[in-house]
This record gives sequence, C-alpha cells and structure tokens, in this order.
Amino acid sequence: MTGIMENFFAPKSVAVIGASATTGKPGNVVIKNIRDNGFKGKLYLVNPRGGRIEGLAVCTSIDELPHGIDQAIVTLPAVAAPDTVRALGARGIPAIVLAASGFAEVDQVGEALQAELGAAIRESGVRVIGPNTTGHVSTPANFTSSFFPLGKVPGGHISYITQTGNFCGISLRHIMSAENFGVCRVVGLGNKADVEESELLDYLGDDPETHAILLYLESIKYPKRFHRVASRVTRKKPVILLKGGASDEGAAAAQAHTGSLAGNGRVVDGAMEQAGVTRIHKYSQLFHVAKALAAMPVPAGNRVSFLSPSGAFTVCMTDYCRAIGLEVPQLEEITCKRLQNFAPPFIRMRNPVDIFGSAGLVGYEKAYGDALDAVLSDRNIDAAVVIMMLTTESGIPGYDFLVKLARKHRAKPFYVTFMGQHEHNVAAKAYLEPRGVPCYMLVEEPFEVLSVLSRCRRSLGR
Amino acid sequence: MSKAGGGSGVKTKAARIIQAARAAGQTTLSEYDSKRVLKLYGVPTSKEVLVTSQTAARTAASKIGYPVVLKACSADATHKTELGLVAVGLGTGKELMEAFRLIRKRAGPDYDGAWLVQEMVSGQREVMIGMVRDAQFGPSVMFGLGGIFTEILQDVSFRVAPVRKRDALDMMAAIRAHRILDGVRGMKPVDRHVMAQAIMALGRIGLDFPEISEIDVNPMIIRGSRPVAVDGLIVLGE
Repeated sequence: MTGIMENFFAPKSVAVIGASATTGKPGNVVIKNIRDNGFKGKLYLVNPRGGRIEGLAVCTSIDELPHGIDQAIVTLPAVAAPDTVRALGARGIPAIVLAASGFAEVDQVGEALQAELGAAIRESGVRVIGPNTTGHVSTPANFTSSFFPLGKVPGGHISYITQTGNFCGISLRHIMSAENFGVCRVVGLGNKADVEESELLDYLGDDPETHAILLYLESIKYPKRFHRVASRVTRKKPVILLKGGASDEGAAAAQAHTGSLAGNGRVVDGAMEQAGVTRIHKYSQLFHVAKALAAMPVPAGNRVSFLSPSGAFTVCMTDYCRAIGLEVPQLEEITCKRLQNFAPPFIRMRNPVDIFGSAGLVGYEKAYGDALDAVLSDRNIDAAVVIMMLTTESGIPGYDFLVKLARKHRAKPFYVTFMGQHEHNVAAKAYLEPRGVPCYMLVEEPFEVLSVLSRCRRSLGR
Repeated sequence: MSKAGGGSGVKTKAARIIQAARAAGQTTLSEYDSKRVLKLYGVPTSKEVLVTSQTAARTAASKIGYPVVLKACSADATHKTELGLVAVGLGTGKELMEAFRLIRKRAGPDYDGAWLVQEMVSGQREVMIGMVRDAQFGPSVMFGLGGIFTEILQDVSFRVAPVRKRDALDMMAAIRAHRILDGVRGMKPVDRHVMAQAIMALGRIGLDFPEISEIDVNPMIIRGSRPVAVDGLIVLGE
C-alpha cells in the first residue's frame, strides 16, 4: 500500500487538534476511540491550554508538534478550519480529517467558509476528508478518526464509502451490535471538500484487505471519473451502490424526446449498470448484503433452493423469487431421490423443499441437515435459504450442523431465516453469525440479498 | 472505412453538413440532413430523395418505387406529423400529386422548404434510438420503444458513450418490452447486430460533435428483421 491514502488508512502517527479532557466531547471521544481500537502508532494532542489529557502531554499549538506526523484529526469548530489546515500544511502533515459541520450544508456563510477552506487545502497541498463527517475507520491499522463513541471495531474485509455522517457513528454501531460482521475501511465523506468517492473507490479497488465495497452516495462529484473507475473495479470486486436522491435528477431543457426521457435519474441508472455497479434501493441492504459477502462467496448465478417448514412459504417465496429475478429450478433427480429417502411417502420432494414432514419423521437436525447438504450438492443450484421454525414446544435443535455444512460447501452460499418464537430466532442468530452463517430476521431478506448478489456476479464475470 | 462509419472521412463529411446548417443559422438539421449524417455513421435509413418541385417529386417516386411517403422537409419542420405535413402509403403518381398539393396548402404560403420523397418502410414494430448530452456523464445514448409508445410507456434505457457492442446489447435487453425484439407472433427476430451498430453509431456522433446536443431517431421501423430509420432529428446546441 503506497501513496497519499496510506496516511489516512495506515498512519504511523496521528495528532488530535482540539483534544479535550471533557468526557463526551468530540475531542475526547476520538482519543478514547483510537485507544479502544488498539492503535499502535504515536498519538499527539493539541490544545492551547496544554497540560495532560488521558495521560498524554498536550502541545499548546500545532507549531509545537514534531515533524513527520502522518495525519491530523481536527475537532475544532468550522470557523477555525481554514487557518488550521494552513497551519497543519505548514507543519508538513499531509492528511487531515475535518469533523466540524457548519459549512456548505448549512447556509451562505457556511458556503463562503467552505470556499475559503477549499483555497486553504489547495494552497497548502494537504489532503482532506470532510468537513462535516464523523470520520473514518481502518481496522487493519487498528485506527479510527471517529468522534462518535465506537469501542473496538471488529475487523473484516468489507469496506464502505458513505456520504453520511452517521456511518462511522450509528450505522457502525448497528453493524457491531446486531450484524456480527467485521469491516475494513469505512469512510464518511462529509461535504467532499477534497477526497471524494472516485479516488477512494480506485484505492479500495486495489486494497488487498478490501474484498467488497459498498457505497451510499447522494451525489457523485466527478461522474465520468467514477464511471471509469467503477468499470475497472467492478470486474474484480463486488461494488454495491445505494444512491440517495435519484428521483430528484430532472431532465435538462430538451428539444428532442431523448432529452426529455433522460430525467428521473435514467442516465445515472444506465451509466451505473454499464459500469457494473450493483444498485440497491434499501438502506438496510447496506448491512444485509455486506453480512452475506463477509461470510460466504458470491453465488455463481441466480438459481435458488430453499427449505421451508410451511406450504405458504414455498408458494410466497417462489413468487417473490420470480419477482426479484431469482429462479427456483427443478432439482436433479438424484437430489429428489435423496430427499425422498427421509420424507413421508405422501410428500413429493422437490424444489422448494417442504421440510416439515421430514423433520417430524427423522428429527430436526437430520432433516434440515441432509436436505441442505443435498440441495447444495445439486448442480442446478447456486445458493440456498434455510427457513427455520423454532418454538419451545417443537424443540430447539443444535445449530452446529449448519456451521459444518457452511465449511463443507465453501463455493455455494446459504443463509438462514426464521419463523416462530422470536427469542429462539435471536439466540440462533447470535450463535450462527459469529460462526460464519448469516441470518436474517425477516423471511424475504435472504432472498433479496441473493437477488442483489446474483446481479453482482454478472458484473464480476463480464 | 467500414460501413459502420467512424473513420475520419465520415467525420469530415458529417462536419460539412453540420457546418452548412450552422452557417444558415439553423438550430436543428432538417430530416434529410439529419439522416445523411446518421447514414454516414452506419445507421440504416430509408431511401429518399430531396426535391423542390412537383415534377421532381414524381420522378423521384418512380425511381424509388411506389408506395412512397411525402414529407415537407426544412429545419423548422420538426413536428411534421402533428402539423399534417406527412403523407404515407402513396401508391400512385396521382396520389402523390394530391398529397403534394395538400401538404403545400397546410405548410402555408410562406413555406420555402423542400420536399422529401421516401420509400414506404413497412413493419409492425417501431423502436427508437437517441443521444443526449448529459450534464454529468456527457454524451449518453438511449434505446427504447418507438413511435407513439415512446412518450406513453417511457420504456427506455441509457448508456454513456462510447457505447461498446456489449453495452448496446444490454440496452436492448434492459427495456421492459425487450421480448418485442424476439420472434414474436410469426415476426422475425430483430437483427441485434444491426441494431447494436446503430446504437453505437449515435455514441460516436455524440463524441465526434460536441455541438450536437440531442439526436432523435424515431421511429426505426423493423422491416423483416432489420431496423430502418424513417425519421431523424439532430439538434444543435450552443
């Protein structure tokens, strides 16, 4: 890893400008976050009052900092940003994260301030993430610049580029507490005064630690550049985009029909499709799809099998699969025979697999386990969904058979979902996800994820 | 130079047509000139002759072969159908002359444009291709259902120029009504190669001429399996 981005994602030394001793203040939270994440590099603090904060000596000005610091995190108010950037540039600090809000996102005064900031960035030659951001995370470097209380962020290979201040805050807290997967690089772009999505996508495309990239964008700063970079990266790694505000993009004044039809984000849609970017339209899928990618491979295609304890699900989920571009194909004859071996004779075993009778006959774990093994071995099937039925009265199975099957069938993904007693569902998820089996609380969700990833596969294979 | 166009000779010839229109103060190319540019870049267009007199129209029709289409043709006549300046399916010289008189009357006493005599292209399916200069992505090409369905169903797809063949094929597959391109109801499947070449050509025109702000090729009628542009409009920007 080389280049300017290394100062952001693998700094050896970091300074917090606006460090605070007051619990809960951004200038204090950021120090705790850096410590909680086990940052091994040097940490410097700046506050005009000096003294000690969190056991570290405090410099009273930027000029007191030693030379050669890689990155500065600035938690000062917006009005101080231009001068601070110039001072940091003069001190030779090449990478800066600006947390403050109150720039172009607010009013005209803020706009003027952001223009001044832009000039300061250009003139001092530094690189800036922000302003108006909670910062970024880089787990391979045990580092975060976030001022939102995070604790230790679990590492993984999923990276995010997001145009929202909440991502290195509440969204990350949701991932950490509810979704059981780790992240690699996470960036809140803020107002994109300097660093923007195309440069980051380019960087993450070549980042060996990053295996998949998810983006939440409300605007694209350099559309042609983004198009060019995405066309390259999407061949190598899944690139999944939630684009907010697409409905607002109107058509330019048009004299011909083509121009009038170019509104409603249709050109953006076409451009992203052309570049191999996989679009999603739900914020929650930023987590759901990532969780699947963190644990399992991208499916080879859109052919799905699922195990269902209820006829209603076999019908509804088959309908839903068709509506979202998934096939529920016939199983190979050998698979049907295998399924029939442990099923009541009056149920004809096929895809989707009606598992209720088998579970009654041979027990939960054997019925679900053998059936899942059978469909994952089927050459007509690219992925599977297991719909579990968990109630106290019907008995709660052990879940290790699912973990073992995940290890056995490494080339094909399967996900688990539930219908039944909520506390058992939650417990099953808490057991399975840390062991590499993604779980979804609502029955449609795993199918939606497979729909997204089968589109993703088309880009990877092109 | 391939028939798909794009060579420097093509660009030079197209540039001459565009420059002449600009020199005449036009903000659009006439249908005739629009289709000359399209044809240079390899878009299949209807056979047609531009004439300025009734007699010449008749000679042209004999040469093209009846039935023919007669249209008023000038840079101003961009909504010909709505204004009643188009007559289709003219099977004889007599019908042609009647149509000529009627259109001349509708065009009004100040009309000083020319007339376009075209072969009558028949087919049950109509598609459309177009180009627009998007503020973000630059020249972008569109494919969709043509004719009267263009605006009603808005079943279209876009790609950014340059458009590769794979992109063009994807655009055809991306519209909701894509099955209309297959061999439905005894019709032949649309020649997707020819269609792709036409789509790609609009991307090249968009890249070659920044002064072109929009192009409509609507409709392209599917004759047998081959799409043929029977109308075309090139809009010049600033």
